[in-house]
Amino acid sequence: MPECINPLYPCAMTGAVSSLAGFNGIVVVIHGSSGCYYYPATLLHAPLTGTFILEEDVIFGSEERLIEVVEEIARTGKRIAVVTTCVPAILGEDIRAMLAAHDVILVDSPGFTGSYEKGYKKALSILDPQVSPDSAGINIDGVSLFDPFFRGNVQELFRLLALAGVPVATVLCADKYEKIRKCAPLTITTDSDLASGTGTCLGGTLGFDALNETFRRIGEAFGTSDPDPVFEEITREEERLVRACDKYLRRFDPPQVAIFSNFSYASFAAVTLKKYLDAEIVCIGSRTEPTGPLPFPTSWITDLADAQALIRRSDPDIVIGSSFERSVKGSAGFVGLTPPLRGRVYISPRPLAGTSGTLLFVEDVLNACMDKPHTLS
Amino acid sequence: MPSNPSPSNSCRFEGCTLTGALSVTTSVCDSISVVHGPSGCAHHNFSLLHTTGIDNDRITFPRLVSSGMQDAEIVFGGEEALERAIRSAVSDNASVIYVLSTCIAETIGDDVKAVCSRDWGVPVIPIPTAGFLGGSFQKGVNNALLAVAGSAPISSQGVRLPGLVNIIGEKNLEFEVEENYREVVRLLSLLGLRVNLRFVHRIRADEIARLGSASFNILRDEDLGVIGEELSRRFGTPAVTSFPAGFSGTLKFLETAAGIYGADPAEAIAKERQVQEFLIRDFADIAGLAISADHLVDGSSCNLAVREITGLLDMEVVRDGARVPIPPVPPVGTTGIKRMLHRWRRAVHA
Repeated sequence: MPECINPLYPCAMTGAVSSLAGFNGIVVVIHGSSGCYYYPATLLHAPLTGTFILEEDVIFGSEERLIEVVEEIARTGKRIAVVTTCVPAILGEDIRAMLAAHDVILVDSPGFTGSYEKGYKKALSILDPQVSPDSAGINIDGVSLFDPFFRGNVQELFRLLALAGVPVATVLCADKYEKIRKCAPLTITTDSDLASGTGTCLGGTLGFDALNETFRRIGEAFGTSDPDPVFEEITREEERLVRACDKYLRRFDPPQVAIFSNFSYASFAAVTLKKYLDAEIVCIGSRTEPTGPLPFPTSWITDLADAQALIRRSDPDIVIGSSFERSVKGSAGFVGLTPPLRGRVYISPRPLAGTSGTLLFVEDVLNACMDKPHTLS
Repeated sequence: MPSNPSPSNSCRFEGCTLTGALSVTTSVCDSISVVHGPSGCAHHNFSLLHTTGIDNDRITFPRLVSSGMQDAEIVFGGEEALERAIRSAVSDNASVIYVLSTCIAETIGDDVKAVCSRDWGVPVIPIPTAGFLGGSFQKGVNNALLAVAGSAPISSQGVRLPGLVNIIGEKNLEFEVEENYREVVRLLSLLGLRVNLRFVHRIRADEIARLGSASFNILRDEDLGVIGEELSRRFGTPAVTSFPAGFSGTLKFLETAAGIYGADPAEAIAKERQVQEFLIRDFADIAGLAISADHLVDGSSCNLAVREITGLLDMEVVRDGARVPIPPVPPVGTTGIKRMLHRWRRAVHA
């Protein structure tokens, strides 16, 4: 990445930590300075540890400090994962050799190597999820502590899978550590940008169309399952959604919407609003590299200046994104989709996946639209 | 955040120097801070500063430019990337550019000072902030305050304006930063004093020229002693060494400020003492409570302020008492104590 103004997304180190810290039973050690520790600690709200290296550790070597921390944690009997940050990664120390006497998961994911997604996937690949044919149920993947919707997504998919009579196997990455060795052969995902590749993916869970298709496949794959209650719920809730959107369109013009998020969430938002509100998607600023074509103007943006320029150029009624975009939205309405989301209180687990996720998302958009008087026809 | 992030008992947890410095430089509103390091370092701090602003009801854009170091800069050096970042900042019409290094830039040995010393057409001021290599969060704050103070003209010495006071080194990331400031302003108003400059809290670069014009400085806390000494050396300005903590500390603050200014504090102290007496009566319903003392550190100013209030309310501090929130830093002034007592009342009733 060349020089950039106010970069919008975290680094690979934070991504790796968000993946590892999702597993109960792993103690994550951030091998680096206090600054590298405090950001993921405040962002992920997970118990993390660090080596908090100092100048002397850089000059004389970080081995003593790293071993000191690792040995202290090892006494707890918990699995240890060490994530390297920028400076230890270039000191030329053989960290693997340093830790040879300890059973430690080592993830070399310094910030300069890339983006949050890259670090998340690298850490998960090193954890090496194992598919066990004997494991019942379906895995849920694409879950990250970084995502403000992760708790809601997991709850919602547990509920829908239970409705279909299918147990949940392993949640990647928000589960007990031992379950990473007992993944089921089949997986559904909440966020394809973070897909783990574990088992066969039956599909996504963002939006009614994806849900219908994914649960149809679940019905085919699981002889004992009964997805009909899920289909009935989707039909019922979609009718309610259509009624609400139709009522809105009787009085208001369709909104012009600018969307800023990772590619999979942004795609969901755009497709949903086009379908139910005939919204004009004036721009998508994807935090992650677009992985496929979309029938909307889409660009990959990395800094706030890009987001600001897109918003100014497209003059949307509604901006969907993070607190960053909220701050440059001008008079447009705002709906939160992307971290960080500040300035509003979020306590309850809110999903984006599942039927409830789509309902809540469209509900937020409709309310934001109706709070804007100038959208009146 | 976990209260014990490392299993070891060590003094390594004093935060990032870069974050401390940025909490100062980004509060010079027409400046740009160039962060020489990977974009992640700039993102972490941009996110923190932005969201802290939102939590304080301010939509702020800390203007950060990252040099965006990647593998190539790590291997071949990052000075060219820094030059590009400074050029980008210059083209964005900053009044002043602060250049802050990161752990990795310092480790690979980039000569940040040399790059900054070129003629950029606007002041480009390097601030040593190499994370663990530079020291703690507070070290970053102090380094930045010293660097920013260095741009204030000495000529302002001798044009001291009566009745005006500088507030030095507010904790810009503190959730109650504005409330604490307002409390100090309220107390100063009892003495007929006003604020000349919040150094550095949401000011323009040209306002820094007023740094030497105040009758005296009020430091946010005693960690800023080196700043107080430097301002005294440069401008001859005396200083009150910290914001007021606790009831008696608040009265002492009034006495000290009045003493430096040469005013009679008697009326102000009498008024404030009356406010404090009313406050104690307002919280009579939680008097006599036994509270937990888990978070009190012996000898700390917070401990002294809390112990004083528990004494006034006949509270007992015991291990198994009610778990009331003890603030990590002393509540500021009488109003800070009032808010703390509301939280204690909530804890008792919750």
